[in-house]
Amino acid sequence: MSQPIKCSLCEEAATVHLSQVVHGNVTKVHLCEACAQKGGATDPAVFQLADALTTASPAPTLTCPKCGFTDIDFRKRGRLGCPSCWETFGDALGGLLLKVQHEASHVGRTPVGTMPTGQLRRRLDAARLEMEKAISAEDYEAAARLRDEIAGLEQQLATA
Amino acid sequence: MSSVEDILAAENELTHLLGAQQAVVLSTRIRLARNLDGMPFPGWAKVPQRKEISDRCIEALDALPKFRRGHVLRMGELADRDRAVLVERHLVSKELAAGKSGAAVISRDQTCSVMVNEEDHLRIQVVKAGWHLRGTWHIAEQLDDALGGSLKLAFSDRLGYLTACPTNVGTGLRASAMVHLPGLCLAGHMDKVSRALNQDGLAVRGWLGEGTEAAGNVFQISNQQTLGLSEEAILKHLGGWIKNVVEQEWNARRKLAQEEGEKFVDRLARSLGVLRSARLLTSSEAMNMLSHLRLACDMGCLPEERRHLVDRLMIEGQPAHVQARAGQELDSDGRDRRRATVVREALKDFPEVAPPTA
Repeated sequence: MSQPIKCSLCEEAATVHLSQVVHGNVTKVHLCEACAQKGGATDPAVFQLADALTTASPAPTLTCPKCGFTDIDFRKRGRLGCPSCWETFGDALGGLLLKVQHEASHVGRTPVGTMPTGQLRRRLDAARLEMEKAISAEDYEAAARLRDEIAGLEQQLATA
Repeated sequence: MSSVEDILAAENELTHLLGAQQAVVLSTRIRLARNLDGMPFPGWAKVPQRKEISDRCIEALDALPKFRRGHVLRMGELADRDRAVLVERHLVSKELAAGKSGAAVISRDQTCSVMVNEEDHLRIQVVKAGWHLRGTWHIAEQLDDALGGSLKLAFSDRLGYLTACPTNVGTGLRASAMVHLPGLCLAGHMDKVSRALNQDGLAVRGWLGEGTEAAGNVFQISNQQTLGLSEEAILKHLGGWIKNVVEQEWNARRKLAQEEGEKFVDRLARSLGVLRSARLLTSSEAMNMLSHLRLACDMGCLPEERRHLVDRLMIEGQPAHVQARAGQELDSDGRDRRRATVVREALKDFPEVAPPTA
């Protein structure tokens, strides 16, 4: 009898087998019951995640100075160790982020009273664009909301 | 009375609200993933750290007016069945219920529940019955601001809110609608609709979320991308698609009703007949037939004001709920018998199914 296939994320025997076909290229990911459950194997975003993980290099090269988490741990778990890991692994995760998120920088809300200037400017640009779109789509309710947000942002920037 | 019994006994929006807004969209949900600055994520934290995280989060939540006279439930202190009830009510995830160090803080009206020590330190959830994307978002936003006032949250200028998994980083926002799509399912269009949603960045899942089947033609549709889009853009994108899906669902229903005529009414009437007289009902059988009753209420074949009762039976017909109501552990046959009794009683004075008016 042949050896059972091992899980792509840990060493357990794989029982869940996923195949992805992109332009005729077949990529296969094998997961054990636990990893499949944990990752939500039916979730396409997680599938892409597993995909990126299995094609990454196998050598441990990065360790988070704050919590001791390594890139090997990430490959096993698909989750990071602590908020500071994002600084340590940020660059290494860039490609993966683009794969699961399609964008690499935040343009949304910020914690109360802490919006940094760069963030403010980016959000302002995005809001202006969204408002133009809303106006051309004749969605005046959204446009009015954005107009108020823009006014608020401009004021915050002026006093920052 | 335990807190979980209290939750079961209380009237709440999802089981007791009347309103025309609820045809097709059962509920709207907003989820925000947040973490404390400087603390390891729950999956990597040591036991004492998880305890510290839990204590700090619960203390901050407990102080908010929203959770006054609410519930603080530590998973390690609950019986298996009580945890299963919370999962069936969507108040906590299966993942949280499976661990010992997680907790949930739930508002008295059950619209807000915050999971502590799930995949992230904090998962803020707000659920409203029917389709209320803005209102639901507004409550979540206020909760987020209130929490951000008392806790220092992990945030980076470039990546936004930092989360354990790269699929949540940025806004940490998952917005979703629970939709009932019997028309699209009966017409065989659901695969096509699902594919279209997937291709435009939305996930389609079953009734109990990730990795579950769509019992009773109920699906959860949510955004996937959390980074590089503002909350406004994410909500707008989801909102546009839900409007579209609701329209397609109504078209499918009307077309079916028109083309099938008597056969359409017969299908709904048979389900009512079975539910009203069956002695044993499995969970999936009950869900699928209750789905027909819900459709009948939407289409004017049954009075619309009965719809909330159907919704309540969908929630309370789930295995842990049936056992909690019976006050004892039941085997599979026992549950099926008990479920049939509850459903039969509830539908006793239901009127007959009439031809559609909608």
